[in-house]
Parts: sequence; C-alpha cells; structure tokens
Amino acid sequence: MAEDLNWAIGGEAGDGIDSTGKIFAQALSRAGRHVFTSKDFASRIRGGYTAYKIRTSVEDVQSVVDRLDILVALTQRTIDENLDELHEGSAIIYDGERSWEAEIPDEMTAVDVPLKSLAEDAGGAIMRNIVALGAACEITGFDVEYLDEALEKRFGGKGSKIVENNKEAARLGQEHVEENYDLDHLGYNLETTDEDYVLLNGNEAIGMGALAAGCRFYAGYPITPATTIMEYLTGRIEDYGGHVVQAEDELSAINMALGAARGGARAMTATSGAGIDLMTETFGLVATSETPLVITDVQRSGPSTGMPTKQEQGDLNMALYGGHGEVPRFIVAPTSITECFWKTVEAFNLAEKYQTPVFLVSDLAMSVTEQTFPPEAFDMDEVEIDRGKLVDEDEVDEWLDAQGRFRAHAVTEDGVSPRSIPGATDGAHMSTGLEHDELGRRTEDEDERVQQVDKRNRKVETAKEQEDWDYREFGDPDADNLVISWGSNEGALVEALGYLEEEDVDVRVISVPYIFPRPDLGEEIEAADDVVVVECNATGQFADVIEHDVLTRVKRINKYTGVRFKADELAEEITDKLTEEVPA
Amino acid sequence: MSSDVRFTDFKSDKQPTWCPGCGDFGTMNGMMKALANTGNDPDNTFVVAGIGCSGKIGTYMHSYALHGVHGRALPVGTGVKMARPDIEVMVAGGDGDGYSIGAGHFVHAVRRNVDMSYVVMDNRIYGLTKGQASPTSRSDFETSTTPEGPKQPPVNPLALALASGATFIAQSFASDALRHQEIVQEAIEHDGFGFVNVFSPCVTFNDVDTYDYFRDTLVDLEEEDHDPTDYEAAKQVVLDSEKEYQGVMYRDETSVPYHEQHGVTEDMSDIPDEAPDDAMDLVREFY
Ligand SMILES: Cc1ncc(C[n+]2csc(CCOP(=O)(O)OP(=O)(O)O)c2C)c(N)n1
Ligand code: SF4
Repeated sequence: MAEDLNWAIGGEAGDGIDSTGKIFAQALSRAGRHVFTSKDFASRIRGGYTAYKIRTSVEDVQSVVDRLDILVALTQRTIDENLDELHEGSAIIYDGERSWEAEIPDEMTAVDVPLKSLAEDAGGAIMRNIVALGAACEITGFDVEYLDEALEKRFGGKGSKIVENNKEAARLGQEHVEENYDLDHLGYNLETTDEDYVLLNGNEAIGMGALAAGCRFYAGYPITPATTIMEYLTGRIEDYGGHVVQAEDELSAINMALGAARGGARAMTATSGAGIDLMTETFGLVATSETPLVITDVQRSGPSTGMPTKQEQGDLNMALYGGHGEVPRFIVAPTSITECFWKTVEAFNLAEKYQTPVFLVSDLAMSVTEQTFPPEAFDMDEVEIDRGKLVDEDEVDEWLDAQGRFRAHAVTEDGVSPRSIPGATDGAHMSTGLEHDELGRRTEDEDERVQQVDKRNRKVETAKEQEDWDYREFGDPDADNLVISWGSNEGALVEALGYLEEEDVDVRVISVPYIFPRPDLGEEIEAADDVVVVECNATGQFADVIEHDVLTRVKRINKYTGVRFKADELAEEITDKLTEEVPA
Repeated sequence: MSSDVRFTDFKSDKQPTWCPGCGDFGTMNGMMKALANTGNDPDNTFVVAGIGCSGKIGTYMHSYALHGVHGRALPVGTGVKMARPDIEVMVAGGDGDGYSIGAGHFVHAVRRNVDMSYVVMDNRIYGLTKGQASPTSRSDFETSTTPEGPKQPPVNPLALALASGATFIAQSFASDALRHQEIVQEAIEHDGFGFVNVFSPCVTFNDVDTYDYFRDTLVDLEEEDHDPTDYEAAKQVVLDSEKEYQGVMYRDETSVPYHEQHGVTEDMSDIPDEAPDDAMDLVREFY
C-alpha cells in the first residue's frame, strides 16, 4: 500500500485547490513517480466544494480507485464527501485553529496542523495549502526537495522571495508534523525513481498535437471542458505564425476555422455540449465544400446545459448523425491522453487527405485528468504531415477543363479532388454548400448530383482501404469474454484487468479509437462467448452501433452519474455482467 | 498580380438567374470593377457570399470563393483573411443575411476591424424566399408575413456599424454605377473593415424602395461638403431620419486593422511537412 498512494486536497472553490494539487502532482512526477489526477468540481450537495485527487505509484497508474489515504481537508465538507473512500489507515490533515471543529472518525489519524499560522510565519496566510503539502511530505516520507522543485517551477516567475517563502511554508508544515506526531504506524515511505516524466492532461495533449501537426488557426468560444485547448494554444500558436480567435459564438468559430482552411491553413475549432449543437449548422457545408477541418468535441454531460463539469460520452450519435442531409465525415476518438496527441495529428492528416470534416471526440474525464508519461510517448520525430492533394501552381494545369477552369470538385476514382488555395494561379474556383458540378457551380442536374454525392461518399471507401482503422487491445487475446470500449474508459479497463485476474476472470479488452469508419469487430465478437460494451452514457450509443454492425446482441455497462469509471468498480461490474443472460 | 487584369476577368461564365432589372447586377459590376481597379486578380481574391439572391453573387463572379450558410459569411471572410493576409477578401450578402441572422457576426466583424470589405445588397426585403419583411423593411411595409407591416422600426445598419466601432462606413446605390464603384473601391483600399450598404432594388417584391425612389431622394455626400473623417458629422449623417445618403459617411484615418494589432502577418498555408525542429520543447514544458 505504501507504493500506491491516494492523496487529495478539498475545500471551497477559490481555496486554491487546483493549483495546490497541481504542485504536488508535479513534485511526484519530478520524483519519477507515476501520477494520475482527477478533479471533483461540483458535488452531490450544492455549494462550492471542490477537490483535486492524486493517485501515485512507481508503477503505471491509469485510473482512479475508491480509496483515499491522505486527505488535506480545508472544510468539514471535504471529510464528509470522501467518507466512503477513507479507511482506517487514512490520515487527515486539517487546521485545528480554524473555526470549524473537525469531525474525524476515531479510526482515522487526525493530523492537526496550524496551516494558517504557520503560513503567516513563512510570510503570508495565502501559503496555507503549501504548509499542508509540507505536512503531507512528512507523513508519506516523501523527499521535500521535489516539492521545492515544483514550487520553483510554479513561482519562479514571481521572484525568488516568493519561492523562498513557499519553501519555508512547506518546511514549517513538515517540521510541525515531525515534532508533534509519530506516524510510523501508517507505514508510508514514498519511493522515488530516476525516471523523467511529463505531466499533462488530454486537452493539453490535443493542443500539443495540433501544434505538432502544423495547425495555424484556431477559433473557439469558451465552454467547459473544451476551453483549456484554446487556452493552451493561445500564446503558443504565435510561435509558429498562427493565431487564436475567441469568436462571438460557436457558429462564428466553426465558420472562421472553415475560412482559414479555405485559405490553406490547417485549422481547428473545439467545443462541447451546447456548442456542438450550434456547430452542426456548418457540418454539411464543411463536407460539401470539401474543406479540411478538425472539429473537436470534448464531451460533457448533456442534454442541454446538463452537468457542465461532469463526465459523459453522450455525443457519439451527434458526431455520427448530426447535421441535415447525408454527410461524409470521419470520427476519431482518442482512448488515452497520449492518444489525444496522436489522434489529433492523425485528424489533421485525414482532414486534408480526404478534404472533409474530421471529428475529434474526446471527453471531460480525459480533458481534466493529468497523467505522467515518458516524454518519448510524444516523440515528435514520429509526426508526419500529409497535406493530401494540395496542388501547386504547376499541378493546377492538370485539372483545368477545356475552357481553362479549375475542376475543384472533379469526380475522381478515389473520391478526392485536387485542392488549390488562394494565390495558386489559375486555381481560382468557387465552392458552395449548394449542390454543385465539378467546377463548384450550382447544379440540380440529376446526374451531376448523383456523381457528387457518390464522389464524396467514395472518400470514406477509399479511406477504409488506405488507412489503418485498427483497435487497441489488452488482456488475454484468447479469452472467451470480450469487453469493448471507446474513449477514456480504456485506462480504467486496463487496470480492471488486474482485479479480474485475481478473481480468475479472463477478459480480452478492445478499445476502439475510431467511430467512423470503425474496425470491423465481427470476428472478434463471433469468437467470444460474452461481449460487454462499456461506455459513459445511459443508452449505449456505441453498443447500438456495434449491434448494428454485427447483428448480434451485446451486453452493456453504462454509467451516466457524471463520474468516470473506476478500475475496481468496473472489475466488479464486468464480473456481474458476465453471469447475466444476453438480452433477447 | 498582372496589370492587364480587366474587370471581366472577375466574371464567371455562369449566367445570372436574377430577375431582369434586379439591382444586384449593378452592384456586382461595381464590385468587379473596384476589385480590378485596385490591382487585384481572381487568383489573389477571395469572395465570400451569403445566402439570398444577393449571395448568388459568388457564383457569377470568378475568383477563389465560398458560398456558405445563411448569415455566416463574415466569420468565413474573417478566417480567410487571418490565414492569408496576402489575399484580398471581399464579403457580400443581403440585408436579411447580414442584419438578421448574421447581425451578431456583423457587430463583431465591425469591431474586429479585419482588413476586408463587406458589401451588403440592401433591398429591404427577402428576395430569395419570395418577399418577406427584412430587418431593413419600413415599419409599415406590407409583405406576405407582415400583412400590416412589421410594426417595428428598421435596423439602421450604418448607425449599428458606427456604434460598434466601425472604421469605414459607406452607402451606395447600385444604379449610380460610377459612384458605387468608387465607394466600393474606397472600402477595399481602407486599412480595416470597409463596410458598404448598397441600395440594390428588388424589382419583384419591393415596390416602395425602387430605383425611382432612390434616384429622387438619395443625397450624395460629395455634394454636401461632408467630411468623412469627422466623427461627429458621421454621427449626424448615419442618424439622420429625414434623408438617405450615398457616399462615405465615416473613415477613421487612424484605423489599425486587426492583423497589425495582433501581429497576424504570416501566410498560414505554408506549413512544414513534419513537426517543427523544436517541437520536443512543447513536451518538455510539462516536466
Ligand atoms: C438557416 C436558414 N434559414 C432560412 C433560410 C432561407 N433563406 C434563404 S435566403 C433568405 C433571406 C434572404 O434575404 P436577404 O439577405 O435580404 O437577401 P435577398 O434574397 O433579398 O438578396 C432566407 C431566410 C436559409 N437558407 N437558411
Ligand atoms: S427577387 Fe428581387 S432580389 Fe431576387 S433576383 Fe429578383 S429582383 Fe433581385
């Protein structure tokens, strides 16, 4: 247990919970420990309760579990909210001098640290959370030097005085615990390693992927949980000659991105929930005008304004079917934070190679979770940029008709037309949301209509042949039990395999990163006795799609509480499901 | 860009399907001439069109062009111009397209001051959907959807633009060919967002705001000694409820277009074929 530690800090919104958690996560990462973080923004009871949770181990951790070992409680509520997860060996750091009298169950270890006064001794009450971090270091036997490093990183820009004060605050917290408590019985002694890790969340990985892939233009309208992509790109994209615009709404955002893409830039927009509804208006235009565009949907709980800070995978149908008429599109859904990076790179390539919208569908859990990775997981040398049939001045000539007009929507065998961008001589052409002929001019001619529809749909067929629409696989490939998942559930499933093994339940896990086109799972499903589809929604949108593909009923595990799956919980649910009858 | 560009080079070989006599013919001719006169050619020009009879303009012109969805032409134009500061961007649409469904975008395009021109063919009616009230229709103008008139005051696009921080506001009349062309030319040449509201009569559905009406009533600011650089004078002109004017109402000579304010100067279509050399630095930031 000393290896796998679950730590949390909780209090009121505005208590600096997030930044304190982040500092500790960074310190652990610097110490060569794996870190997996999660956040509680809002809770079952109304009010501003918020918490930042860290699970850390020297082994890879990919999920949250139902256990909390050390809790920094700035409010009683923090203790109450987490009672389920606290256990006999848990230590609770609190400030006994504050006005609330902490009610801590007897079996737990109460660690009273005068956070506020010690912070004042170090130079200011604002550092009370840092005192708590120092205390946590002492309890866990974690070398406070790593915390110092994280504090330098965090406050370095604010001057050495601030850094020194914070280090002092941590030291006072540490000493207080050392002098007043004997906590050897808790048995913590956090190991460190020489590994170098980076710590980032899914949205940062998407932003980084966009930059690596040459994205130059981003337009968006703030919405949780997509905004952090925009925040990441702002201030960084300029280094590459790009620009971020905060548009007046999502309709504008997607149309600006479309405009930039017509200008020849690699462009992206991102949104969530209510925003994807508004963007739907322009899906068809992007597809019909054959504009390469990456549209990111970081899903959150819907419908309507739903639960803005809560997890859900409820937009799969929207991505598949949103927009009127019939529209070719690709839907890519990263299954992990590293995949957020790689699938973003891939999304840009797909968009340009097939000149059509690519939906990058992520979810809230992935977007706010920070996780450690070796930097090589994002090896930039592996990034390849394929701009597809972007024709230059010379190549334009090959695509002119007898009158010298550029056939921008030429009917081709593979469904992909040549693409010229402004400035290319003789490449001038019109594109429109109206049905059009090869030149982009409006038509209602039956033959031309059918040719263009078929041409656009042929892109999908071509892509099916040319691209790798594979899945990721974990567990025992020969197991009779098959669990299928998409999106951020992968991590919890991989960990659940460990629990299932203990129970002697053999499982093969298939994690699918492509929603459309998607891998054909016919054989895999046929070979399995039991098939369970796991997703964070109430109706089983992915399960529906799979049933439709293979004409076989599957079992479903659906979670729509707003909270992501936990590894131990998932293991239990899978075991239960496997004994259930297959639905008729 | 060649000096021998003629305005007909901006013409496509598609025959307009506008009603004979529609104001949009004159509006388009002036736009093409203005583009040619300002030294542009079809390969360095991007025209974004709205939806409506007016929006069809993109089809009849020849250049790089996108005919988008209703009301969203300005954001598209904004995106093109940001990606390609080297390209001349012109956005065109109708009063319904621009001041009704697209009104929100109008306000924001104006205040962003992106260096492009915006030509609105204002016929004070919805033409393409066959004669419903538009935001610029008079309050007593009877249409199929407003049998007793809209009973609400029309939008004043000029005042809206001024209030939103416009740096160039003008109005022209499709049938006053030379003046219309000159005014659009000035909008193109303006460093920033050049907005022109063009009276472009709908001969089929609007029998009030006709050629004769504008010919008889329109006052040319050139003959009025109006100084477009005088903000107070501009205020008076755009808020004048007695008269309708053509000419440049307001021109902010100190206008700094968006791309200069934000340092957006690169050709964003030019990207390398692999991740940049220093890309691993992006990863190291997360140490
Ligand atoms: C979202 C949407 N709503 C409605 C329409 C139908 N529609 C087409 S043109 C138009 C109004 C055009 O009016 P205006 O901009 O004044 O152009 P005009 O035809 O008069 O030139 C409308 C409502 C549409 N195309 N899209
Ligand atoms: S309906 Fe009116 S606006 Fe449309 S083409 Fe005819 S005259 Fe022009």
